[in-house]
Amino acid sequence: MDPSRAAASTASSGRPRDGVGPPPDFPAGLRVLVVDDDPTCLKILDRMLRKCLYDVTTCTRAAAALAMLRERRGAFDVVLSDVYMPDMDGFKLLEHIGLEMDLPVIMMSADDGRDVVMKGVTHGACDYLIKPVRMEALRNIWQHVVRKRRNELKELEHSGSAEENDRQKRALEDGDNASSASEGNWKNVKRRKDGKEEEEVEEREDPSTLKKPRVVWSVDLHQQFVAAVNQLGVDKAVPKKILELMKVPRLTRENVASHLQKYRLYLRRLSVPQHEARLDTPYTGASEATFRSVGSFDGLDTQALAVSGQFPPQSLTTLHSGPRRVTTTGIGLPSIDQVGFFNSSAQMANASNIRPAMMQQMNNKQLNFLSGPSTNMESGQHGQSQQLVESYGNMGLRVGEGASGFFNLPSSQRTSTSFPGGTINVNLSNSLPMQMTQQGQQFSVCQQQNRIHISMPRQLQTREQLLNEILGEYDSRLSTPMGHQILSNEVSGHVSGRGRSNMNVRTSLREGYMNASSYGPLSHALYADFSNSGMNESTGSCYPLASGAGTTNFTSIGMLQEALPPVGNVETLGNSVSVKGANDFVPDYDLLSDVRQSKSQDWKSQNIDVSYQSAQQLGSKQSNIDFGSSRLAHEDSIAAIKDDKSRNACTVRKEIFSVRTEIEHEKGDCTAQRNGTILVENSLRVMAEGMSDLSYQEVLFDDNIIQNELMNVVGKKQQEGVGQVDPEFNFDGYSWDDIQV
Amino acid sequence: MEYSSLQRQVAYMKKRLFDQGYLDEQFYQLEELQDEANPNFVEEVVTLFFRDSSRLMANIEQALEKCPQDFHRLDSFMHQLKGSTSSIGALRVKNECTQFREYCDEGNLDGCQRSFQKVKREHAVLKQKLKAYFQLLRQIGPTERATPPGG
Repeated sequence: MDPSRAAASTASSGRPRDGVGPPPDFPAGLRVLVVDDDPTCLKILDRMLRKCLYDVTTCTRAAAALAMLRERRGAFDVVLSDVYMPDMDGFKLLEHIGLEMDLPVIMMSADDGRDVVMKGVTHGACDYLIKPVRMEALRNIWQHVVRKRRNELKELEHSGSAEENDRQKRALEDGDNASSASEGNWKNVKRRKDGKEEEEVEEREDPSTLKKPRVVWSVDLHQQFVAAVNQLGVDKAVPKKILELMKVPRLTRENVASHLQKYRLYLRRLSVPQHEARLDTPYTGASEATFRSVGSFDGLDTQALAVSGQFPPQSLTTLHSGPRRVTTTGIGLPSIDQVGFFNSSAQMANASNIRPAMMQQMNNKQLNFLSGPSTNMESGQHGQSQQLVESYGNMGLRVGEGASGFFNLPSSQRTSTSFPGGTINVNLSNSLPMQMTQQGQQFSVCQQQNRIHISMPRQLQTREQLLNEILGEYDSRLSTPMGHQILSNEVSGHVSGRGRSNMNVRTSLREGYMNASSYGPLSHALYADFSNSGMNESTGSCYPLASGAGTTNFTSIGMLQEALPPVGNVETLGNSVSVKGANDFVPDYDLLSDVRQSKSQDWKSQNIDVSYQSAQQLGSKQSNIDFGSSRLAHEDSIAAIKDDKSRNACTVRKEIFSVRTEIEHEKGDCTAQRNGTILVENSLRVMAEGMSDLSYQEVLFDDNIIQNELMNVVGKKQQEGVGQVDPEFNFDGYSWDDIQV
Repeated sequence: MEYSSLQRQVAYMKKRLFDQGYLDEQFYQLEELQDEANPNFVEEVVTLFFRDSSRLMANIEQALEKCPQDFHRLDSFMHQLKGSTSSIGALRVKNECTQFREYCDEGNLDGCQRSFQKVKREHAVLKQKLKAYFQLLRQIGPTERATPPGG
């Protein structure tokens, strides 16, 4: 409508995101999407919102709005939608958005009947405005954006243990909503928050819980799980029996219970056909581009990625795989795809490759990637790690231009499967394909070897399930200790580097976090949160991850987190990008915080965040982040990572942001190398936490070897308990140089 | 401040519209949205409203003739109309719409028909009055219009 809006390349409105952080005059510049079939109301709303200094995009049809949201992930902070619309019920739209993008949605209607308002609440709307809408009511809508982010952050923080995950899951499941993920999320969040106190206390006080080693739900393990469940009957499957059937030592009933919860949610989500369809669509479309770029990845050495095992969830794999199969259908990755994934990623072997680049890539692009293509993986190179990127809902893997760089990751196999819930990036083995899905761009991050990162957005549960399934299919070798982290990509997808509030990401991560703690792999949809912040349009504004701790930067960081697969396995650190397991990471809302490593607690959440961030940044800019080594140099070295966990997170974030910013500016095609470096950077960052010696710069360069080393180092560090990343997101400007490999 | 005769006229007209219930407070909201960058905002919105509402009312009329028993459909149309009328502050029209919807809920076709006639009438009257109002406003000039004298 507004010429300026049209002119804006990516943003809905003219306001570009320069990636330096949330606009200083927040909430001005809040990106709002208004959907209303009534032209009069639309015009009035538009004017009112502009008067509030928001960036407004209007739409008269819900379908168009959804398409816009999908295409430009991370382009919006909040959605205002009418309830009664001719082409689609407003509540349906609400559900879709919640599932796919996890953005705060505000409903409007002239109808103020209690039932209708209640419906809005139960479907997960953050608010319900009665028409005629007054200006005052609109002035405050930004609060929903902030609140959502904060909630997600909190979720991340607290989701440190399996119990928490369970709790969350319970909450989710209890939530009646089957209708939308957002609803679930909301509930989840709410529940978490409510019950958190009590439960947390219990859990926190239980050392065993906290220190419980994460269970990495590797593909194999997950397959065993699925087999057991099927044998018992999905409805009748109880953790105890499943455990007995699985006969896996060291697996506890609780692990199984929480995994089952997620799986059930996942299944539930799958049962919603539209999700599937949706999943496919966005991803498929995007995948085209990514596929191509993926091809270029061949060069990347996914192996490097594999090393760290961390695997940025953002599966590059999906990108790679030529045949992008967007499993979309949401339904979980069909095992077939999964298999494909894994196989292809098998190639990833050495972490040395690209991983770092991958990570970066992942970061840049939304973490969410996932697009189901399981087999993709480009040629055998990526065989090793397959990233199963599943995008929940929308996330799908979209490989942005920049992603191409990542794709070169040799062995990264990324399989992204888009789940209704989000994206699950499974990084198998070393390949670290990171898929960063950014608005349309998805980077697939190479997966690390044996790392399956599944980012699950809030709705993780289902995703995890998916992931698990996928993982199950994966090549056994792929399933490394890290297992898979599911990045809930819903959000991550958005991480396009926009630091802007992509709250969505966060929420989705929430679940992930929970899981992460318990499992390590899947559960950490932590990354999901990432999405919310990061989901910004890749185009550009890479919001600094760290910037505005707690402010709009969520997205970026969140994204990263998602993208980063939990660095569960120390061995393969490769995915430093992976989400940091730090559950207790209390990010200020920066993406960093979101990035949680489901893996070992050791990982500072920062690390992951960082990686994600970078990835995001990379991703955000249409993936072509030209991260040259020079760029890295500019970046604050991560080395600055402070020992303080929180600091790390911050620094990491900063780096990421800076990276992101760079990326944003770059807009070039990211070569695989760059991506690799970026990934490396990310991984470095992660590592940096633990190891101040890592030099990201090196990592960043597509020097596989270095990457490998880094990965390894990172991995080791993780093992050693890198520590928690302080959620505080302040980027002090870590310098990349600090990190010495 | 001295009001020119025209300005006084406009002010008076506006006051009457409010007093007689043709317009409500929402109209003030619209006026607040008008500024130098958008000097004709209110008029634009009102014009848009009348165009869109005419279309809606034509649909309702048709529905009343063709499928009068489909109250759900009628209600749905009227809901839309109500939404836009309330957003510009067309109070009387909105009230009639509400009445219409009540008849729909009851399944009272006759009531609906009568009510709809009222809606049409109020709609036409408002259209005329606002047309005159804006015509006068235009004569005054943009600056004065931007800051209309309190009604």
